[in-house]
Amino acid sequence: MTENPTAASGPGETRPSPQKTWSDPPRVSLIRRLLSAKETGVFLALVVMCVFLSMSTESFLSTTNLLNVGRQVSLLGIMAIGMTFVLISGEIDLSVGSTYALAGLSTGMLIVLGWGLVPALAMGLACGAAIGLINGLLSTYGRLPSLIATLGMLSIVRGSALLLTDGRPVTVNVRNGADPAILDRFEYMGQGYLFGIIPMQLVFFIVLAILGWLLLSRTAFGFRVFAVGGSEKAARVSGIHVPTVKIWSFVIMGILAAAAGILSLAFLPSGQAGRTGLGLELDVIAAVVVGGASLAGGLGTILGTVFGVLIIGVLRNGLVLLGVSPFTQEVMIGLVIIVAVAIDKWSSTRRST
Amino acid sequence: MTEKSILELRNITRTFPGVTALDDVSASFRAGEIHAIIGENGAGKSTMMNILAGELSPDSGTLHVNGRETTIGSPRQSQALGIRIVFQELSLCQNLTVGENVLLGPMAAQPALSHLNRNSAVRAATDVLARLGMSDVRADTPLAGLSVAQKQLVEIARAISQQVHILVLDEPNSALSKRETQRLFDMVRSLKEEGVTILYVSHHLDEVLALADRISVMRDGKLITTLDNGPDVTVDKLVTLMVGRSVNAAEQYALQCEVSDHPAETALEVRDLSVPGHIRHATFKLSKGEILGIAGLPDSGKDVLAEAIFGLLPRGGEVEIGGIRLSPGKPYHSIAAGMSLIPADRRSAGALLSMSVAENTVSAALKKFTRLGFMRGGAVKDIANRYVRELDARVASLGQKIATLSGGNQQKIILARGLITGPRVLILHEPTRGIDVGAKAEIYAILKSLAADGMAIMMISSELPEVMLHSSRVLVMADKIVMGQLTGAQITEEAIMSLATRSDQERAA
Repeated sequence: MTENPTAASGPGETRPSPQKTWSDPPRVSLIRRLLSAKETGVFLALVVMCVFLSMSTESFLSTTNLLNVGRQVSLLGIMAIGMTFVLISGEIDLSVGSTYALAGLSTGMLIVLGWGLVPALAMGLACGAAIGLINGLLSTYGRLPSLIATLGMLSIVRGSALLLTDGRPVTVNVRNGADPAILDRFEYMGQGYLFGIIPMQLVFFIVLAILGWLLLSRTAFGFRVFAVGGSEKAARVSGIHVPTVKIWSFVIMGILAAAAGILSLAFLPSGQAGRTGLGLELDVIAAVVVGGASLAGGLGTILGTVFGVLIIGVLRNGLVLLGVSPFTQEVMIGLVIIVAVAIDKWSSTRRST
Repeated sequence: MTEKSILELRNITRTFPGVTALDDVSASFRAGEIHAIIGENGAGKSTMMNILAGELSPDSGTLHVNGRETTIGSPRQSQALGIRIVFQELSLCQNLTVGENVLLGPMAAQPALSHLNRNSAVRAATDVLARLGMSDVRADTPLAGLSVAQKQLVEIARAISQQVHILVLDEPNSALSKRETQRLFDMVRSLKEEGVTILYVSHHLDEVLALADRISVMRDGKLITTLDNGPDVTVDKLVTLMVGRSVNAAEQYALQCEVSDHPAETALEVRDLSVPGHIRHATFKLSKGEILGIAGLPDSGKDVLAEAIFGLLPRGGEVEIGGIRLSPGKPYHSIAAGMSLIPADRRSAGALLSMSVAENTVSAALKKFTRLGFMRGGAVKDIANRYVRELDARVASLGQKIATLSGGNQQKIILARGLITGPRVLILHEPTRGIDVGAKAEIYAILKSLAADGMAIMMISSELPEVMLHSSRVLVMADKIVMGQLTGAQITEEAIMSLATRSDQERAA
């Protein structure tokens, strides 16, 4: 920064050359920009919750607890990143809980069967990608509403996982035939700590969130997702191949759901097709919607989604710390979803008038 | 053909179930000409445009671009050929910024993982906007905040932001003010100088005559003729070609309202009506049997007047109908008191697009046609039949989806819906927007006979001839207030425009 006085002019001042205003966006104060950002509402809600919990409980603000919250929300968060793409593109994916189960369990079974780590992981992720591809094809070329297509897939994929495992739990351990060296590395992904302190699941979440953010808000692909969700006709008229964009969004979703499922098995390390990830799709959608994405498409950000995921995570954690019964917790979470989205809606209608 | 044609359609036929939308159409467009395409709704213009856009493919016939036979199988191929189409129905992304909408094509065309340079996009979009005289709109603001007119210009800006050889404009100025329209025409002419071929689809024949080099007339899916524009081409001649029979413009407009002699009874009284940001202290009366025209430029406040009176918008002041004070925010109250609104935006506010002609007709008065909550099919059919006949709406059957009707026939069904509640006051907002000449004349005739039966009619319109020729009294709005009133011989284009362009201060002065 130079000491040139004109460079420091505020937003209200006129500049000598009219073109200058365009080539050089006016410096709106950082606070104003933060206040007008789409994520501000969710962020403030999160801050309020955190402040309240750190005052009313001893343990909330401890590093251990915060990292624990981070780990607990990671898998939900990883899936929510994918769901952000799908919702912005104007679609929805209900099959993610089943994908989570099938991909995790099949990776686990392959490791038990003696496969190497990389091939087993690749199979699991490919399984997720394939489910995403089918969802995408059904919702575009198949002309089914994605609500119906993925509702069907929810059942089909869950059923496939049951058939594959014969309904029996899959436990990845040496007794069942897993190679100890491979098992070690597999379990490190789910249970390990980076630098001995940051849970690996959280590391995965952070890395994937950054990649998702770059992809959504910094690349041409991300732009196409917004364009398609904003107006399919406008997108088509502008030469965007709408089905491709949607299919890729579903594939990203499928891969991320599979990744979360695999990490879950690596953490536990046992799962059962009848129970793993049951109903998870609704948690994922709730988190993304709390984060400001619109079910009608076109709106949403990765940052908002991360905040949405954290709200759900902090709320669950806080209610446990406060000693609220699990039954009441469910009611509270439902209320928060409704209130968060309502506040967002009301404030956005106010902004638009 | 002596001059080289850049685009040629040879024997194009396209059918839809039950309709031949394009019937063996051959046309040739020259490089660097402004070629107007006119025709009534349903003549096949939009099918032709959709074929050029790559949204539809012809059943038979061939397309030739620069003399080479080409197929346009997708919008992308159409774009690659340098064809840009601005449809009348806006197709913009409300969730993106103005600049992103302008540069949607090039921004989206980059490789999937390439980095988007938003700053350079804002700069490029600003240049394009400046060309359309939109320097007051910042490229980095959200599109959602713009007026309909501005959005229409953004749509045009998008079309000309990239290399374009053939620009197709479909009623590009339906929401624009005179000045904006003038700027649009200047832009069209300068594109022509650059060698761009412009296909200009419009119902405004005077504009067509002022702008076009050649004019193609379509009727019933056929291309009737292509004329060289010249002094011998007149509006009357074009209308005759369009409707296939001689319609004397004077005769058509002779449906003008006579001012009734007997003292008028007040049907609607508006006192001190205010809508924050749009209307200030509007006061006027509407009498039985009168057609009151409301004119004004976009943003004069006239476009919110209908919704404010009807109670769809929060308002201050009083609205009385036959002595009954209406509460704001309660449209059903207004309907019960005898008011009907025919909204401007047929597609989003007017018609229940996915429903049938009969269902649309009765939707405003369901109570009359239900018993214990069940629809009385027979009664619905009878009444729908009656209105379809009376308004001469051309529908295949009462079960036909309203979305598949032409604009004029849709408007008649919506009019029927407005009439079915038995209103004393009928408010029409842009009653003939995007409707062809023939259907317009029919709608004016219907309005006139309704007024003769004692209905009080208020017609808010951006089309001056419509207001001038079919109202007995005209209120002109400007700068959020009712600037003045004209009656009888005072109603001239000059008088209306001089009121419409005045500001509040000038009036005070």
